[in-house]
Amino acid sequence: MTLPGGFVDELVAAVGASHVVTEPEALATYECDGLTGWRALPACVVLPGSAEEVQAVVRLCARDRVPFVARGAGTGLSGGALPVAEGIVVSVARMKRILEIDLESERVVVEPGVANLDVTRAVATDGYFYAPDPSSQQVCTIGGNVAENSGGAHCLKHGFTVNHVTGAKVVLPDGELLELGGKAIDGDEGPDLLGVVIGSEGTLGIAVEVTLRIVRQPELVVTQLAAFRSIEHAGEAVSAIVASGILPSAMEIMDTLTIQAAEEAYRPGYPEGAGSVLLVELDGVAAQVDEDADAVDRLCRAAGAFEIRIARDAAERAVLWLGRKGAFAAMGRISPDYYVQDGVVPRTQLPAVLRRIDELSAAHGLRVGNVFHAGDGNLHPLVLYDAKVKGDYERAKALADEILTACVEAGGSLTGEHGIGVDKACAMPSMFSERDLEAFERVRRAFDPDGIANPGKVLPTPRLCGEVPGPYRPHPLERLGLAERF
Amino acid sequence: MRPRTIEEAAALLAGASAAGRRIRIGEDLVTDALDRVLEHEAGDLTCTVEAGIRLSALRGRLAAAGQRLSLDPPGDPTIGACVARRLSGPLSHRFGPPRDLVLGVTLVLGDGTVASSGGKVVKNVAGYDLGKLVCGSEGRLALIARVALRLHPLPAASTTVVVETDDPAGIVGELRRSSLQPSALDVLHPGRVALLFEGREEAVAAQVEAACALVDGAAADGAVWDEARERQARALGRLAFAPGELASVLASLDEAVVRPAAGVAYVATPVEAGSSPAALGLHRALKERLDPAAVLV
Ligand SMILES: Cc1cc2nc3c(=O)[nH]c(=O)nc-3n(C[C@H](O)[C@H](O)[C@H](O)COP(=O)(O)OP(=O)(O)OC[C@H]3O[C@@H](n4cnc5c(N)ncnc54)[C@H](O)[C@@H]3O)c2cc1C
Repeated sequence: MTLPGGFVDELVAAVGASHVVTEPEALATYECDGLTGWRALPACVVLPGSAEEVQAVVRLCARDRVPFVARGAGTGLSGGALPVAEGIVVSVARMKRILEIDLESERVVVEPGVANLDVTRAVATDGYFYAPDPSSQQVCTIGGNVAENSGGAHCLKHGFTVNHVTGAKVVLPDGELLELGGKAIDGDEGPDLLGVVIGSEGTLGIAVEVTLRIVRQPELVVTQLAAFRSIEHAGEAVSAIVASGILPSAMEIMDTLTIQAAEEAYRPGYPEGAGSVLLVELDGVAAQVDEDADAVDRLCRAAGAFEIRIARDAAERAVLWLGRKGAFAAMGRISPDYYVQDGVVPRTQLPAVLRRIDELSAAHGLRVGNVFHAGDGNLHPLVLYDAKVKGDYERAKALADEILTACVEAGGSLTGEHGIGVDKACAMPSMFSERDLEAFERVRRAFDPDGIANPGKVLPTPRLCGEVPGPYRPHPLERLGLAERF
Repeated sequence: MRPRTIEEAAALLAGASAAGRRIRIGEDLVTDALDRVLEHEAGDLTCTVEAGIRLSALRGRLAAAGQRLSLDPPGDPTIGACVARRLSGPLSHRFGPPRDLVLGVTLVLGDGTVASSGGKVVKNVAGYDLGKLVCGSEGRLALIARVALRLHPLPAASTTVVVETDDPAGIVGELRRSSLQPSALDVLHPGRVALLFEGREEAVAAQVEAACALVDGAAADGAVWDEARERQARALGRLAFAPGELASVLASLDEAVVRPAAGVAYVATPVEAGSSPAALGLHRALKERLDPAAVLV
């Protein structure tokens, strides 16, 4: 926990005494992110107020090789903002100005500490919205979204953060300011640095300014809630909708357990006897949405839906989404504790993987609730356990890990939106070969030769994972190749 | 050099690296024998291909399943070239540049290391996105060997609308403020704006009618898109601009094909690449790490 002598004084000189935190009680606020199982007290927290101040702070870190961890709102779910004990946390919480709203260009320029939802709020009356909508959007920051390449329920149609960022200014680990892109899409010449910085979890630099693309509000939004006897039928409906060529903005499935929890918590009044509900939201040009809505209705009924409700305005829509939006929180009603997993499978593998989750749940004797982004195969299994029961957490974690293995084996991914962080760094070898990881490491070193930007995250390290590499499974791409790994 | 497998490609690059030779991908090393479709899972709307496959060949395969790769640059480049040279066409208005369609890649680095990133699923944030990094890398960071791609259903109907105008920026503004959702929107400067509507038949008809009424256009055949691509291919420069500055950009140009929502104009004269010193420094650092012997030129 020791910084070089005089380092804190220099930080104070750079950002002002009131923006440097060193008292242990105050530091405790920063000891973890949304993944509260991992905690560490940083040596110091600084809250710069401008890009120049971030540069000044990072230059000091670079000079003395002091590790730094960028932090937004701390809602991350993979321990990405977990402090490094011998380093500092750079919080962008004070940098929350919307710098420019350029409606003619359909771009908004923001500082990194701006909350996601505030972008939409700033342009809503002009008929626009910012499309990526993580459930944490009231608080999570654009800087955090950029670092995690965050998505949301509506990224099925509208894409992820990376599809909505056209430019960024990034303070590199040596303190230099890197200006990427601008208001044009894909405007830079040369390799797509912006594309690799987005989703790099704070390991390649600190975003200090971000240019976002905003999207015209659709003419019509229609939401349908279809009730099925079982989750298999809901899954079939999803496949049928995808196969028909319809691209909904969102497709979400809840299973029996999550419906039950939602009913206890919010009484959304889902159809009696529903073993699963499927929410389908369509947006766009009215004529198209109307036709698609009819088709969705037909396809759901053909797959066994016994009741379909439809919402055509914001108030009705809120009712249908009520149970889904509160699903995680509602778990508290039926279980003292729960562990949220985040894995991805190819859409066609959903039924098989859901069956596998059932088997694993039975084998471990723990309940698993499934509420997920069905349209893009992003599962969020909720493993229910009781922390007061000895060994329960370990069993829950083991079960969650096995679910992840099942996802990767099905050709999917370790994470669809929560990131690798510290949580899954040691699982990376289950999806990537040593050479893949080595290539990642080379990219990281190109940006950060001294390894001071958020060390210990994303890539496995001996210190974190032990010397023994995890089991190697061929990369999903590699498995397809007739030519195998060289 | 014409490798038929990724191993062969890797051996060639490793050999060149050891011998201190230089290789220009597309000239010294051609990928046209790396042209297989490795997987096309129609139900997932994804496919994985070797990077030497040409767009036309892939288009044929996908169309049989009622799907397409929404990428329509001029000519008939390989997928690898589309990525390495960030080639796109009119459909990028709605579906984005190649970076938005690439889900994963397998690369052969300059020293022969084979490394993959991403995957074949449409949502995935595990590890660095090297598939994005190599977009625009011009074959100088790595050989792009395999690419996993996001697909879209072939639309049931599509109709082109052309507007003759001496105020294209005004027309584009009208369209932007409307709720119309064209798949393509090009300004063929001077004098024309072209729109493509795709989707269900009735919905397309409704949009075409609304568009014609709003901006005084007329339904046309698709020849205008071939013209746009031809002119794009002939252009010597690619100019990036803030979309809101369309009017002044057009005023400064005699002739161009412009994708106004992206803020990209294909122009008759070369455009100086304006990379900042920090960006150039990173290009160099990445080159040193990924191609340490500077094999790829
Ligand atoms: C209830 C809840 C629901 C959620 N729902 C979703 C969801 O639907 N979809 C989804 O994708 N995620 C979701 N998340 C996860 C989380 O909200 C996102 O990952 C979010 O983007 C994190 O933003 P943050 O500002 O809280 O970042 P933090 O947690 O503070 O940081 C996250 C990572 O970003 C880095 N970072 C932060 N700021 C910067 C910066 N300026 N420059 C560089 N790196 C930076 C940090 O170092 C860290 O690695 C949810 C979280 C919670 C608690």
